[in-house]
Amino acid sequence: MTPTAHTISTRELSKTFPSRTGPVEAVRGVNLQVGAGEIFGLLGPNGAGKTTTMRMLTTLLPIGAGSATVAGFDVSRHPQRVRENIGYVSQLGGADQLATGRENLLLQGRLYGASLAELRPRIDELAEILDLSAFTDRRVKTYSGGQRRRLDVALGIVHQPKVLFLDEPTTGLDPQNRADLWEHLRALRDRGTTIVLTTHYLEEADVLCDRLVIVDHGRIVIEGTPRDLKRRVAGDAIVITLREDADTDGRSMALLEREPYVREISASGDQLRLYVEDGSAALPQLLRILDRERIGVRSMNLSEPTLDDVFLRQTGRSLRDTEPAGDQPEESEVAA
Amino acid sequence: MKLARDTWLLFHRYTIQMLRNPVWLFVGFSTPLLYLVLFTPLLKHFSSPQIGSSASVIDLFLPGILALLAFASGMAGGFGTIFELQEGVIERLRVTPASRFAILIGPVLSGMLMMFVFDSVVVAAAAGFGFTINWIGLAVLVVLLGLLMITMSAFSVATALVTKDISSFAAIMNGLNLPILLLAGVLLPITLGPAWMRVLAHFNPLYYAVEGARALSTGAYHNPAVWQAFAVLVPLCAVVVTWATGVFRRAVA
Repeated sequence: MTPTAHTISTRELSKTFPSRTGPVEAVRGVNLQVGAGEIFGLLGPNGAGKTTTMRMLTTLLPIGAGSATVAGFDVSRHPQRVRENIGYVSQLGGADQLATGRENLLLQGRLYGASLAELRPRIDELAEILDLSAFTDRRVKTYSGGQRRRLDVALGIVHQPKVLFLDEPTTGLDPQNRADLWEHLRALRDRGTTIVLTTHYLEEADVLCDRLVIVDHGRIVIEGTPRDLKRRVAGDAIVITLREDADTDGRSMALLEREPYVREISASGDQLRLYVEDGSAALPQLLRILDRERIGVRSMNLSEPTLDDVFLRQTGRSLRDTEPAGDQPEESEVAA
Repeated sequence: MKLARDTWLLFHRYTIQMLRNPVWLFVGFSTPLLYLVLFTPLLKHFSSPQIGSSASVIDLFLPGILALLAFASGMAGGFGTIFELQEGVIERLRVTPASRFAILIGPVLSGMLMMFVFDSVVVAAAAGFGFTINWIGLAVLVVLLGLLMITMSAFSVATALVTKDISSFAAIMNGLNLPILLLAGVLLPITLGPAWMRVLAHFNPLYYAVEGARALSTGAYHNPAVWQAFAVLVPLCAVVVTWATGVFRRAVA
Protein backbone atom coordinates (compact mmCIF):
# COMPACT_ATOMS: atom_id res chain seq x y z
CA MET A 1 0.00 0.00 0.00
CA THR A 2 3.02 2.23 -0.07
CA PRO A 3 2.33 5.27 -2.20
CA THR A 4 4.83 5.62 -5.01
CA ALA A 5 5.89 8.58 -7.05
CA HIS A 6 4.41 6.87 -10.07
CA THR A 7 0.72 6.30 -10.66
CA ILE A 8 1.54 2.93 -12.15
CA SER A 9 4.67 0.91 -11.73
CA THR A 10 5.38 -2.70 -12.54
CA ARG A 11 8.36 -4.89 -11.75
CA GLU A 12 9.16 -7.83 -13.99
CA LEU A 13 5.46 -8.29 -14.73
CA SER A 14 4.97 -11.63 -16.49
CA LYS A 15 2.20 -13.93 -17.60
CA THR A 16 2.36 -17.39 -19.12
CA PHE A 17 -0.66 -19.16 -20.58
CA PRO A 18 -0.90 -22.89 -21.06
CA SER A 19 -1.76 -23.91 -24.60
CA ARG A 20 -2.00 -27.08 -26.63
CA THR A 21 1.49 -26.48 -28.01
CA GLY A 22 3.03 -25.82 -24.61
CA PRO A 23 3.18 -22.74 -22.39
CA VAL A 24 3.08 -19.37 -24.14
CA GLU A 25 4.84 -16.48 -22.48
CA ALA A 26 2.47 -13.64 -23.32
CA VAL A 27 4.20 -11.09 -21.09
CA ARG A 28 7.83 -11.49 -20.05
CA GLY A 29 9.28 -9.18 -17.48
CA VAL A 30 7.64 -5.85 -18.23
CA ASN A 31 8.82 -2.84 -16.21
CA LEU A 32 6.63 0.22 -16.54
CA GLN A 33 6.62 3.59 -14.83
CA VAL A 34 3.69 5.83 -15.59
CA GLY A 35 3.55 9.30 -14.07
CA ALA A 36 0.41 11.12 -12.92
CA GLY A 37 -1.47 12.99 -15.62
CA GLU A 38 0.21 11.56 -18.68
CA ILE A 39 -1.11 9.67 -21.65
CA PHE A 40 0.95 6.53 -21.78
CA GLY A 41 0.84 4.16 -24.73
CA LEU A 42 1.59 0.50 -25.24
CA LEU A 43 2.32 0.18 -28.94
CA GLY A 44 2.84 -3.12 -30.63
CA PRO A 45 1.47 -5.65 -33.08
CA ASN A 46 -1.47 -7.89 -32.18
CA GLY A 47 -0.42 -10.63 -29.82
CA ALA A 48 2.50 -8.60 -28.43
CA GLY A 49 1.12 -8.85 -24.89
CA LYS A 50 -0.44 -5.40 -24.62
CA THR A 51 -3.91 -6.56 -23.70
CA THR A 52 -2.61 -9.19 -21.29
CA THR A 53 -0.52 -6.54 -19.54
CA MET A 54 -3.53 -4.25 -19.29
CA ARG A 55 -5.78 -7.03 -18.02
CA MET A 56 -3.33 -7.76 -15.22
CA LEU A 57 -3.15 -4.08 -14.28
CA THR A 58 -6.96 -3.83 -14.16
CA THR A 59 -7.33 -6.90 -11.87
CA LEU A 60 -9.07 -8.92 -14.60
CA LEU A 61 -6.28 -11.46 -14.82
CA PRO A 62 -4.15 -12.77 -11.96
CA ILE A 63 -0.56 -11.57 -12.18
CA GLY A 64 1.65 -14.42 -13.31
CA ALA A 65 4.93 -13.25 -11.86
CA GLY A 66 6.43 -9.96 -10.77
CA SER A 67 4.37 -7.17 -9.23
CA ALA A 68 2.35 -4.12 -10.13
CA THR A 69 1.17 -1.04 -8.29
CA VAL A 70 -1.73 1.03 -9.61
CA ALA A 71 -2.87 4.29 -8.00
CA GLY A 72 -0.75 3.45 -4.97
CA PHE A 73 -2.11 -0.05 -4.39
CA ASP A 74 -0.55 -3.42 -5.00
CA VAL A 75 -2.69 -5.12 -7.63
CA SER A 76 -2.37 -8.64 -6.22
CA ARG A 77 -2.88 -7.75 -2.60
CA HIS A 78 -5.48 -5.00 -2.88
CA PRO A 79 -7.43 -5.59 -6.10
CA GLN A 80 -10.54 -4.01 -4.58
CA ARG A 81 -8.71 -0.74 -3.83
CA VAL A 82 -7.27 -0.74 -7.34
CA ARG A 83 -10.76 -1.22 -8.82
CA GLU A 84 -12.08 1.74 -6.86
CA ASN A 85 -9.46 3.98 -8.43
CA ILE A 86 -9.47 2.95 -12.06
CA GLY A 87 -11.72 3.03 -15.09
CA TYR A 88 -11.41 0.52 -17.89
CA VAL A 89 -12.64 0.57 -21.46
CA SER A 90 -12.15 -2.83 -23.06
CA GLN A 91 -11.98 -3.54 -26.78
CA LEU A 92 -15.56 -4.72 -26.58
CA GLY A 93 -16.93 -1.84 -24.52
CA GLY A 94 -19.60 -3.88 -22.82
CA ALA A 95 -22.51 -1.44 -22.53
CA ASP A 96 -25.98 -2.92 -22.09
CA GLN A 97 -27.61 -2.92 -25.52
CA LEU A 98 -31.17 -2.87 -24.26
CA ALA A 99 -30.59 0.02 -21.87
CA THR A 100 -30.20 3.68 -22.78
CA GLY A 101 -26.87 5.43 -22.54
CA ARG A 102 -28.07 7.29 -19.46
CA GLU A 103 -29.23 4.10 -17.74
CA ASN A 104 -25.86 2.52 -18.45
CA LEU A 105 -24.03 5.50 -17.01
CA LEU A 106 -26.25 5.66 -13.92
CA LEU A 107 -25.75 1.97 -13.15
CA GLN A 108 -22.01 2.16 -13.73
CA GLY A 109 -21.66 5.20 -11.47
CA ARG A 110 -23.77 3.62 -8.75
CA LEU A 111 -21.73 0.41 -8.81
CA TYR A 112 -18.81 2.64 -7.86
CA GLY A 113 -20.83 3.94 -4.92
CA ALA A 114 -21.95 7.31 -6.29
CA SER A 115 -25.46 8.52 -5.48
CA LEU A 116 -28.13 9.43 -8.02
CA ALA A 117 -27.95 13.05 -6.89
CA GLU A 118 -24.22 13.16 -7.60
CA LEU A 119 -24.52 11.31 -10.85
CA ARG A 120 -27.33 13.20 -12.59
CA PRO A 121 -25.46 16.47 -13.14
CA ARG A 122 -22.21 14.60 -13.75
CA ILE A 123 -23.75 12.53 -16.53
CA ASP A 124 -25.20 15.63 -18.18
CA GLU A 125 -21.78 17.22 -18.09
CA LEU A 126 -20.11 14.10 -19.41
CA ALA A 127 -22.65 13.80 -22.22
CA GLU A 128 -21.89 17.40 -23.12
CA ILE A 129 -18.12 16.85 -23.15
CA LEU A 130 -18.27 13.64 -25.18
CA ASP A 131 -21.02 14.82 -27.55
CA LEU A 132 -23.48 12.25 -26.30
CA SER A 133 -26.31 14.59 -25.36
CA ALA A 134 -28.37 14.04 -28.49
CA PHE A 135 -28.84 10.34 -27.84
CA THR A 136 -28.23 9.61 -24.14
CA ASP A 137 -31.87 8.58 -23.79
CA ARG A 138 -31.86 6.23 -26.73
CA ARG A 139 -31.15 2.52 -26.39
CA VAL A 140 -27.51 1.64 -27.00
CA LYS A 141 -28.28 -0.85 -29.77
CA THR A 142 -29.33 2.08 -31.98
CA TYR A 143 -25.93 3.81 -31.62
CA SER A 144 -23.39 4.10 -34.42
CA GLY A 145 -19.83 2.84 -33.90
CA GLY A 146 -18.47 6.23 -32.96
CA GLN A 147 -21.36 6.95 -30.60
CA ARG A 148 -20.88 3.60 -28.88
CA ARG A 149 -17.18 4.17 -28.42
CA ARG A 150 -17.80 7.56 -26.85
CA LEU A 151 -20.33 5.98 -24.50
CA ASP A 152 -17.75 3.29 -23.65
CA VAL A 153 -15.32 6.03 -22.70
CA ALA A 154 -18.01 7.79 -20.68
CA LEU A 155 -18.67 4.52 -18.82
CA GLY A 156 -14.96 4.33 -18.07
CA ILE A 157 -14.83 7.79 -16.49
CA VAL A 158 -18.30 8.38 -15.00
CA HIS A 159 -16.94 7.62 -11.51
CA GLN A 160 -14.02 10.03 -12.01
CA PRO A 161 -11.18 7.51 -11.70
CA LYS A 162 -7.57 8.52 -11.13
CA VAL A 163 -6.41 6.19 -13.88
CA LEU A 164 -8.19 5.32 -17.10
CA PHE A 165 -7.21 2.21 -19.07
CA LEU A 166 -8.25 1.99 -22.71
CA ASP A 167 -7.72 -1.13 -24.79
CA GLU A 168 -7.49 -0.22 -28.50
CA PRO A 169 -9.82 2.76 -28.00
CA THR A 170 -10.17 3.78 -31.64
CA THR A 171 -10.22 0.44 -33.45
CA GLY A 172 -13.05 0.46 -35.94
CA LEU A 173 -13.56 4.22 -35.85
CA ASP A 174 -13.36 6.41 -38.93
CA PRO A 175 -10.61 9.08 -39.01
CA GLN A 176 -12.92 11.89 -37.94
CA ASN A 177 -14.26 9.97 -34.93
CA ARG A 178 -10.74 8.92 -34.07
CA ALA A 179 -9.45 12.49 -34.06
CA ASP A 180 -12.44 13.57 -31.98
CA LEU A 181 -11.80 10.87 -29.40
CA TRP A 182 -8.14 11.89 -29.18
CA GLU A 183 -9.29 15.41 -28.44
CA HIS A 184 -11.54 14.14 -25.62
CA LEU A 185 -8.74 12.07 -24.13
CA ARG A 186 -6.34 15.03 -24.16
CA ALA A 187 -8.95 17.14 -22.40
CA LEU A 188 -9.33 14.39 -19.81
CA ARG A 189 -5.58 14.27 -19.26
CA ASP A 190 -5.48 18.05 -18.89
CA ARG A 191 -7.93 17.69 -16.02
CA GLY A 192 -5.51 15.36 -14.23
CA THR A 193 -6.51 11.83 -15.26
CA THR A 194 -3.71 9.40 -16.00
CA ILE A 195 -4.45 7.53 -19.20
CA VAL A 196 -2.94 4.24 -20.29
CA LEU A 197 -3.88 2.91 -23.69
CA THR A 198 -2.90 0.09 -25.99
CA THR A 199 -2.82 0.64 -29.71
CA HIS A 200 -1.43 -0.85 -32.85
CA TYR A 201 -1.93 2.40 -34.74
CA LEU A 202 1.37 4.23 -35.26
CA GLU A 203 -0.32 7.54 -35.73
CA GLU A 204 -2.32 7.18 -32.55
CA ALA A 205 0.78 6.44 -30.52
CA ASP A 206 2.66 9.29 -32.17
CA VAL A 207 0.04 12.01 -31.96
CA LEU A 208 -1.74 11.15 -28.75
CA CYS A 209 0.77 9.65 -26.32
CA ASP A 210 3.03 11.71 -24.09
CA ARG A 211 5.17 8.66 -23.56
CA LEU A 212 5.08 5.14 -24.84
CA VAL A 213 6.68 1.76 -24.85
CA ILE A 214 6.94 -0.42 -27.90
CA VAL A 215 6.06 -3.99 -27.00
CA ASP A 216 6.93 -7.06 -29.02
CA HIS A 217 6.70 -10.74 -28.05
CA GLY A 218 5.83 -9.85 -24.47
CA ARG A 219 8.80 -7.57 -23.90
CA ILE A 220 9.38 -3.85 -23.91
CA VAL A 221 11.53 -3.09 -26.90
CA ILE A 222 12.06 0.60 -26.29
CA GLU A 223 10.59 3.38 -24.19
CA GLY A 224 10.37 7.16 -24.46
CA THR A 225 8.43 10.10 -25.83
CA PRO A 226 7.43 9.74 -29.48
CA ARG A 227 9.86 12.50 -30.38
CA ASP A 228 12.75 10.92 -28.48
CA LEU A 229 12.15 7.56 -30.03
CA LYS A 230 12.10 9.01 -33.52
CA ARG A 231 15.18 11.08 -32.84
CA ARG A 232 16.99 7.94 -31.77
CA VAL A 233 16.51 6.60 -35.26
CA ALA A 234 18.79 9.50 -36.11
CA GLY A 235 18.28 11.22 -39.37
CA ASP A 236 15.88 10.71 -42.21
CA ALA A 237 14.69 7.59 -43.90
CA ILE A 238 15.01 7.14 -47.65
CA VAL A 239 13.24 4.39 -49.49
CA ILE A 240 14.56 3.59 -52.95
CA THR A 241 12.49 1.34 -55.17
CA LEU A 242 14.61 -0.22 -57.91
CA ARG A 243 13.39 -1.31 -61.30
CA GLU A 244 12.75 -5.00 -61.46
CA ASP A 245 15.87 -6.93 -62.47
CA ALA A 246 17.96 -3.79 -61.98
CA ASP A 247 19.82 -5.36 -59.12
CA THR A 248 20.11 -9.13 -59.09
CA ASP A 249 23.28 -9.52 -57.05
CA GLY A 250 22.82 -7.00 -54.20
CA ARG A 251 25.30 -4.71 -55.92
CA SER A 252 23.38 -1.53 -55.09
CA MET A 253 23.38 -2.25 -51.40
CA ALA A 254 27.12 -2.86 -51.28
CA LEU A 255 27.61 0.28 -53.33
CA LEU A 256 25.56 2.62 -51.16
CA GLU A 257 26.76 1.13 -47.90
CA ARG A 258 30.18 2.61 -48.60
CA GLU A 259 28.89 6.17 -48.60
CA PRO A 260 29.92 7.90 -45.36
CA TYR A 261 26.58 9.65 -44.77
CA VAL A 262 24.60 6.37 -44.92
CA ARG A 263 24.14 5.21 -41.37
CA GLU A 264 22.15 2.13 -42.01
CA ILE A 265 20.84 0.29 -44.98
CA SER A 266 18.59 -2.69 -45.44
CA ALA A 267 17.06 -4.36 -48.46
CA SER A 268 13.79 -6.19 -48.92
CA GLY A 269 12.61 -7.25 -52.35
CA ASP A 270 13.25 -4.47 -54.79
CA GLN A 271 13.34 -1.86 -52.03
CA LEU A 272 16.31 -0.33 -50.26
CA ARG A 273 15.78 1.43 -46.97
CA LEU A 274 18.46 3.86 -45.81
CA TYR A 275 18.90 6.06 -42.82
CA VAL A 276 20.93 9.16 -43.53
CA GLU A 277 21.81 12.27 -41.60
CA ASP A 278 20.44 14.77 -44.04
CA GLY A 279 17.96 13.34 -46.44
CA SER A 280 17.58 16.21 -48.84
CA ALA A 281 21.36 16.43 -49.35
CA ALA A 282 21.73 12.67 -49.73
CA LEU A 283 19.03 12.21 -52.36
CA PRO A 284 20.88 13.68 -55.38
CA GLN A 285 24.10 11.96 -54.38
CA LEU A 286 22.45 8.56 -54.09
CA LEU A 287 20.70 9.03 -57.40
CA ARG A 288 24.00 9.98 -59.06
CA ILE A 289 25.75 6.83 -57.80
CA LEU A 290 22.98 4.52 -58.91
CA ASP A 291 22.78 6.25 -62.27
CA ARG A 292 26.53 5.94 -62.80
CA GLU A 293 26.35 2.21 -62.17
CA ARG A 294 23.31 1.93 -64.45
CA ILE A 295 21.03 0.62 -61.74
CA GLY A 296 17.48 1.55 -62.69
CA VAL A 297 15.52 3.46 -60.09
CA ARG A 298 11.75 3.55 -60.16
CA SER A 299 11.23 5.93 -57.24
CA MET A 300 12.90 7.55 -54.28
CA ASN A 301 11.08 8.67 -51.16
CA LEU A 302 12.36 10.79 -48.37
CA SER A 303 10.55 10.68 -45.06
CA GLU A 304 10.96 11.85 -41.53
CA PRO A 305 11.38 8.82 -39.29
CA THR A 306 8.14 7.37 -37.96
CA LEU A 307 7.50 5.09 -35.02
CA ASP A 308 7.41 2.32 -37.58
CA ASP A 309 11.07 3.06 -38.33
CA VAL A 310 11.73 2.78 -34.61
CA PHE A 311 9.94 -0.55 -34.50
CA LEU A 312 11.76 -1.74 -37.60
CA ARG A 313 15.12 -0.72 -36.14
CA GLN A 314 14.44 -2.62 -32.93
CA THR A 315 12.77 -5.75 -34.22
CA GLY A 316 13.79 -6.04 -37.84
CA ARG A 317 10.13 -6.14 -38.83
CA SER A 318 7.68 -3.47 -39.84
CA LEU A 319 4.68 -2.91 -37.60
CA ARG A 320 2.59 -2.56 -40.74
CA ASP A 321 3.63 -6.00 -41.97
CA THR A 322 3.04 -7.94 -38.78
CA GLU A 323 0.30 -10.50 -39.07
CA PRO A 324 -2.97 -9.31 -37.57
CA ALA A 325 -3.44 -12.68 -35.88
CA GLY A 326 -0.23 -12.82 -33.88
CA ASP A 327 0.02 -15.02 -30.80
CA GLN A 328 -3.25 -16.88 -30.55
CA PRO A 329 -3.40 -17.20 -26.76
CA GLU A 330 -3.82 -13.52 -26.20
CA GLU A 331 -6.64 -13.26 -28.69
CA SER A 332 -8.60 -16.22 -27.40
CA GLU A 333 -7.98 -15.02 -23.92
CA VAL A 334 -9.57 -11.62 -24.51
CA ALA A 335 -13.00 -13.01 -23.79
CA ALA A 336 -11.93 -14.50 -20.46
CA MET B 1 -24.97 -2.86 3.09
CA LYS B 2 -22.83 -2.62 -0.03
CA LEU B 3 -23.68 -6.21 -0.88
CA ALA B 4 -27.41 -5.49 -0.66
CA ARG B 5 -27.03 -2.31 -2.72
CA ASP B 6 -24.95 -4.00 -5.44
CA THR B 7 -27.35 -6.94 -5.55
CA TRP B 8 -30.32 -4.60 -5.90
CA LEU B 9 -28.62 -2.58 -8.67
CA LEU B 10 -27.79 -5.68 -10.70
CA PHE B 11 -31.18 -7.29 -10.01
CA HIS B 12 -32.84 -4.11 -11.26
CA ARG B 13 -30.64 -4.00 -14.36
CA TYR B 14 -31.46 -7.56 -15.44
CA THR B 15 -35.15 -7.20 -14.69
CA ILE B 16 -35.40 -4.11 -16.89
CA GLN B 17 -33.54 -5.89 -19.67
CA MET B 18 -35.84 -8.90 -19.55
CA LEU B 19 -38.96 -6.76 -19.56
CA ARG B 20 -37.64 -5.05 -22.70
CA ASN B 21 -37.29 -8.34 -24.51
CA PRO B 22 -40.77 -9.21 -25.84
CA VAL B 23 -39.70 -12.51 -27.43
CA TRP B 24 -38.26 -13.71 -24.17
CA LEU B 25 -41.43 -12.70 -22.28
CA PHE B 26 -43.65 -14.46 -24.79
CA VAL B 27 -41.69 -17.71 -24.60
CA GLY B 28 -41.52 -17.43 -20.82
CA PHE B 29 -45.29 -17.27 -20.55
CA SER B 30 -46.16 -19.71 -23.28
CA THR B 31 -43.81 -22.61 -22.42
CA PRO B 32 -45.47 -23.64 -19.15
CA LEU B 33 -48.92 -23.12 -20.63
CA LEU B 34 -48.00 -25.40 -23.53
CA TYR B 35 -47.12 -28.14 -21.07
CA LEU B 36 -50.51 -27.75 -19.46
CA VAL B 37 -52.47 -27.63 -22.70
CA LEU B 38 -50.56 -30.24 -24.69
CA PHE B 39 -49.61 -32.71 -21.97
CA THR B 40 -52.44 -32.79 -19.45
CA PRO B 41 -54.91 -34.30 -21.94
CA LEU B 42 -52.56 -37.28 -22.34
CA LEU B 43 -52.90 -37.99 -18.62
CA LYS B 44 -56.65 -38.49 -18.78
CA HIS B 45 -56.37 -42.25 -19.00
CA PHE B 46 -54.09 -42.58 -16.01
CA SER B 47 -56.07 -43.36 -12.94
CA SER B 48 -54.75 -42.19 -9.62
CA PRO B 49 -54.30 -45.61 -8.03
CA GLN B 50 -52.01 -46.48 -10.94
CA ILE B 51 -49.55 -43.82 -9.85
CA GLY B 52 -49.93 -44.74 -6.25
CA SER B 53 -51.71 -41.74 -4.86
CA SER B 54 -55.18 -40.64 -3.99
CA ALA B 55 -54.66 -37.19 -5.45
CA SER B 56 -55.94 -36.33 -8.91
CA VAL B 57 -53.56 -36.57 -11.82
CA ILE B 58 -53.10 -32.85 -12.31
CA ASP B 59 -52.26 -32.49 -8.62
CA LEU B 60 -49.23 -34.70 -9.32
CA PHE B 61 -48.44 -33.28 -12.71
CA LEU B 62 -48.42 -29.58 -11.90
CA PRO B 63 -45.72 -29.65 -9.18
CA GLY B 64 -43.60 -31.57 -11.68
CA ILE B 65 -44.03 -28.77 -14.21
CA LEU B 66 -43.11 -26.16 -11.59
CA ALA B 67 -39.96 -28.06 -10.66
CA LEU B 68 -39.14 -28.49 -14.34
CA LEU B 69 -39.51 -24.74 -14.89
CA ALA B 70 -37.25 -23.95 -11.95
CA PHE B 71 -34.67 -26.44 -13.19
CA ALA B 72 -34.82 -25.39 -16.83
CA SER B 73 -34.81 -21.63 -16.24
CA GLY B 74 -31.85 -22.10 -13.93
CA MET B 75 -29.94 -24.23 -16.41
CA ALA B 76 -30.59 -21.67 -19.16
CA GLY B 77 -29.05 -18.87 -17.08
CA GLY B 78 -25.59 -19.45 -18.48
CA PHE B 79 -26.60 -18.66 -22.04
CA GLY B 80 -27.01 -15.03 -21.03
CA THR B 81 -23.61 -15.21 -19.36
CA ILE B 82 -21.96 -16.45 -22.56
CA PHE B 83 -23.56 -13.62 -24.49
CA GLU B 84 -22.41 -11.09 -21.90
CA LEU B 85 -18.89 -12.49 -21.95
CA GLN B 86 -18.79 -11.95 -25.70
CA GLU B 87 -20.25 -8.45 -25.40
CA GLY B 88 -17.70 -7.51 -22.74
CA VAL B 89 -20.41 -6.89 -20.13
CA ILE B 90 -19.02 -9.39 -17.60
CA GLU B 91 -15.58 -7.84 -17.94
CA ARG B 92 -16.96 -4.35 -17.43
CA LEU B 93 -18.75 -5.45 -14.27
CA ARG B 94 -15.71 -7.31 -12.98
CA VAL B 95 -13.54 -4.21 -13.16
CA THR B 96 -15.96 -2.31 -10.93
CA PRO B 97 -15.69 -2.71 -7.16
CA ALA B 98 -19.13 -4.38 -7.13
CA SER B 99 -19.37 -7.45 -4.91
CA ARG B 100 -18.57 -10.64 -6.84
CA PHE B 101 -21.45 -12.38 -5.08
CA ALA B 102 -23.81 -9.62 -6.22
CA ILE B 103 -22.61 -9.93 -9.82
CA LEU B 104 -23.59 -13.61 -9.64
CA ILE B 105 -26.79 -13.40 -7.62
CA GLY B 106 -28.34 -10.18 -9.01
CA PRO B 107 -29.33 -11.71 -12.34
CA VAL B 108 -30.26 -15.01 -10.66
CA LEU B 109 -32.75 -13.28 -8.37
CA SER B 110 -34.13 -11.36 -11.31
CA GLY B 111 -34.67 -14.61 -13.21
CA MET B 112 -36.31 -16.04 -10.12
CA LEU B 113 -38.79 -13.19 -9.87
CA MET B 114 -39.75 -13.74 -13.51
CA MET B 115 -40.08 -17.47 -12.89
CA PHE B 116 -42.54 -16.90 -10.05
CA VAL B 117 -44.59 -14.58 -12.25
CA PHE B 118 -44.81 -17.33 -14.89
CA ASP B 119 -45.47 -19.90 -12.17
CA SER B 120 -48.46 -17.99 -10.86
CA VAL B 121 -49.95 -17.86 -14.35
CA VAL B 122 -49.54 -21.62 -14.66
CA VAL B 123 -51.01 -22.32 -11.25
CA ALA B 124 -53.98 -20.10 -12.03
CA ALA B 125 -54.47 -21.86 -15.37
CA ALA B 126 -54.09 -25.28 -13.76
CA ALA B 127 -56.75 -24.39 -11.22
CA GLY B 128 -59.02 -24.15 -14.24
CA PHE B 129 -58.02 -27.70 -15.18
CA GLY B 130 -59.01 -28.91 -11.74
CA PHE B 131 -55.83 -28.38 -9.70
CA THR B 132 -56.65 -27.93 -6.04
CA ILE B 133 -54.60 -25.10 -4.55
CA ASN B 134 -53.18 -25.70 -1.10
CA TRP B 135 -51.99 -22.25 -0.03
CA ILE B 136 -49.63 -23.19 2.79
CA GLY B 137 -48.12 -25.96 0.72
CA LEU B 138 -47.68 -23.54 -2.14
CA ALA B 139 -45.89 -21.05 0.12
CA VAL B 140 -43.33 -23.66 1.20
CA LEU B 141 -43.09 -24.81 -2.40
CA VAL B 142 -42.03 -21.30 -3.43
CA VAL B 143 -39.02 -21.59 -1.11
CA LEU B 144 -38.16 -25.03 -2.49
CA LEU B 145 -38.42 -23.89 -6.11
CA GLY B 146 -36.37 -20.80 -5.32
CA LEU B 147 -33.59 -22.96 -3.88
CA LEU B 148 -33.64 -25.24 -6.90
CA MET B 149 -33.57 -22.30 -9.30
CA ILE B 150 -30.66 -20.57 -7.52
CA THR B 151 -28.67 -23.80 -7.44
CA MET B 152 -29.15 -24.53 -11.13
CA SER B 153 -28.53 -20.89 -12.17
CA ALA B 154 -25.32 -20.63 -10.21
CA PHE B 155 -24.17 -23.93 -11.68
CA SER B 156 -25.05 -22.82 -15.20
CA VAL B 157 -23.48 -19.36 -14.91
CA ALA B 158 -20.26 -20.75 -13.44
CA THR B 159 -20.08 -23.43 -16.15
CA ALA B 160 -20.53 -20.69 -18.76
CA LEU B 161 -17.67 -18.69 -17.20
CA VAL B 162 -15.42 -21.73 -17.21
CA THR B 163 -16.21 -22.95 -20.75
CA LYS B 164 -16.46 -19.43 -22.22
CA ASP B 165 -17.86 -20.48 -25.58
CA ILE B 166 -21.37 -21.30 -26.59
CA SER B 167 -20.76 -24.67 -28.22
CA SER B 168 -19.04 -26.40 -25.30
CA PHE B 169 -21.41 -24.78 -22.85
CA ALA B 170 -24.50 -25.89 -24.78
CA ALA B 171 -23.08 -29.39 -25.15
CA ILE B 172 -22.55 -29.73 -21.40
CA MET B 173 -25.98 -28.37 -20.55
CA ASN B 174 -27.81 -30.54 -23.08
CA GLY B 175 -25.83 -33.57 -22.01
CA LEU B 176 -26.88 -33.02 -18.40
CA ASN B 177 -30.46 -31.95 -19.02
CA LEU B 178 -31.86 -35.15 -20.39
CA PRO B 179 -30.62 -37.73 -17.85
CA ILE B 180 -31.39 -35.41 -14.94
CA LEU B 181 -34.93 -34.74 -16.17
CA LEU B 182 -35.70 -38.35 -17.06
CA LEU B 183 -34.36 -39.66 -13.77
CA ALA B 184 -36.36 -37.22 -11.69
CA GLY B 185 -39.86 -38.25 -12.65
CA VAL B 186 -40.64 -34.69 -13.59
CA LEU B 187 -43.68 -35.36 -15.73
CA LEU B 188 -44.64 -38.82 -14.51
CA PRO B 189 -43.62 -40.18 -11.10
CA ILE B 190 -40.53 -42.38 -11.11
CA THR B 191 -42.56 -44.91 -9.08
CA LEU B 192 -43.94 -46.00 -12.45
CA GLY B 193 -40.46 -47.11 -13.48
CA PRO B 194 -38.51 -50.31 -12.75
CA ALA B 195 -36.44 -50.78 -9.61
CA TRP B 196 -33.09 -49.80 -11.12
CA MET B 197 -34.54 -46.45 -12.21
CA ARG B 198 -35.91 -45.82 -8.77
CA VAL B 199 -32.47 -46.55 -7.29
CA LEU B 200 -30.66 -44.27 -9.74
CA ALA B 201 -33.16 -41.49 -9.09
CA HIS B 202 -31.96 -41.32 -5.50
CA PHE B 203 -28.66 -39.92 -6.76
CA ASN B 204 -30.44 -37.14 -8.61
CA PRO B 205 -31.04 -33.94 -6.65
CA LEU B 206 -33.91 -32.96 -8.94
CA TYR B 207 -35.73 -36.16 -7.93
CA TYR B 208 -35.89 -34.95 -4.33
CA ALA B 209 -37.11 -31.53 -5.42
CA VAL B 210 -39.87 -33.07 -7.54
CA GLU B 211 -40.97 -35.48 -4.82
CA GLY B 212 -40.96 -32.68 -2.25
CA ALA B 213 -42.93 -30.43 -4.59
CA ARG B 214 -45.58 -33.15 -5.10
CA ALA B 215 -45.99 -33.67 -1.37
CA LEU B 216 -46.20 -29.94 -0.69
CA SER B 217 -48.74 -29.13 -3.35
CA THR B 218 -51.11 -31.72 -1.92
CA GLY B 219 -50.55 -30.37 1.57
CA ALA B 220 -48.75 -33.47 2.86
CA TYR B 221 -46.22 -31.50 4.91
CA HIS B 222 -45.32 -34.46 7.10
CA ASN B 223 -44.36 -36.57 4.15
CA PRO B 224 -40.62 -37.34 4.52
CA ALA B 225 -40.17 -36.22 0.91
CA VAL B 226 -40.50 -32.61 2.14
CA TRP B 227 -37.66 -32.56 4.63
CA GLN B 228 -35.59 -34.77 2.38
CA ALA B 229 -35.92 -32.23 -0.43
CA PHE B 230 -34.65 -29.44 1.80
CA ALA B 231 -31.94 -31.65 3.26
CA VAL B 232 -30.61 -32.21 -0.26
CA LEU B 233 -31.13 -28.75 -1.75
CA VAL B 234 -29.93 -26.47 1.07
CA PRO B 235 -26.38 -27.86 1.25
CA LEU B 236 -26.23 -28.33 -2.52
CA CYS B 237 -27.25 -24.71 -3.07
CA ALA B 238 -24.63 -23.50 -0.59
CA VAL B 239 -21.88 -25.52 -2.25
CA VAL B 240 -22.76 -24.51 -5.81
CA VAL B 241 -23.18 -20.82 -5.02
CA THR B 242 -19.86 -20.77 -3.16
CA TRP B 243 -18.17 -22.43 -6.11
CA ALA B 244 -19.77 -20.03 -8.61
CA THR B 245 -18.79 -16.95 -6.59
CA GLY B 246 -15.30 -18.39 -6.46
CA VAL B 247 -15.24 -18.67 -10.25
CA PHE B 248 -16.02 -14.96 -10.53
CA ARG B 249 -13.41 -14.09 -7.92
CA ARG B 250 -10.69 -16.49 -9.03
CA ALA B 251 -10.68 -15.13 -12.51
CA VAL B 252 -9.85 -11.87 -10.79
CA ALA B 253 -6.76 -12.61 -8.66
